[in-house]
Amino acid sequence: MKAFRRVGEAVSAKFEPAEADALATMAGQVAALVADRAEYESDPAVLRLLPDAYPDDEEASAEFRRFTADDLAARKVANATVVVRSLEGAVHARSATTVTLDQQAAQAWLRALTDIRLTIAARLGIDDEEAEPAGDPLLLDVYDWLGFVQESLVAAVSD
Amino acid sequence: MTDVLERPDLVEVPEIVESTVFDTPWVTIVWNDPVNLMSYVSYVFRSYFGFSKAEAERRMLQVHNDGRAVVATGSREEMERHVEAMHDFGLWATLAKADDA
Repeated sequence: MKAFRRVGEAVSAKFEPAEADALATMAGQVAALVADRAEYESDPAVLRLLPDAYPDDEEASAEFRRFTADDLAARKVANATVVVRSLEGAVHARSATTVTLDQQAAQAWLRALTDIRLTIAARLGIDDEEAEPAGDPLLLDVYDWLGFVQESLVAAVSD
Repeated sequence: MTDVLERPDLVEVPEIVESTVFDTPWVTIVWNDPVNLMSYVSYVFRSYFGFSKAEAERRMLQVHNDGRAVVATGSREEMERHVEAMHDFGLWATLAKADDA
């Protein structure tokens, strides 16, 4: 992968087909998790993606959720879908392909990358900054790689 | 001449005053988490709240170092909107009465 950089009003990066495929798959999985969240209510990833707004007030938190969770979930699914769509060409290419995002797509990517990283972190049990992360080394590599992708995207949109 | 006896009943006014004018303000709190990148949190503070780069950086470091930072103060409805926006960005945010925060 070649890091995101600014190109006029847009940003672009280069993805290997396998990278594009992995990222699109993860985006799809997060979208499915959020869309079917009713089945995964006590899933730590879902609880982190749609956290309590009132930590000391269960009733107020439930009320907040009732008014916001559907919209938030729909936006998260839409963001993930933007990622999948932007990567379609790169997934089916034979070599590394440039992926260009306009401002709106970049905003969707920033949020979707965050949601994917939050979900993987929940799976890996990453809940303490100081602790050395343990767990599936392959998933840890993916998590680090996603951090790199997002860091470069944040830098490119801030440029 | 107006008949003063016909003026509206003021009994309900104190209730309205109590629930709006003297309401304690609410705050939006962003909590530290081990996942979100410092650059991203700072970017969210800049782009959503319109903080200057220095101010966004200061609040981001406050989240990072102190575990949390108050990023907005106002009515409960307003703070709920901010918390929802933070959840949209994937930041861990809650709201509380300013007194309790």
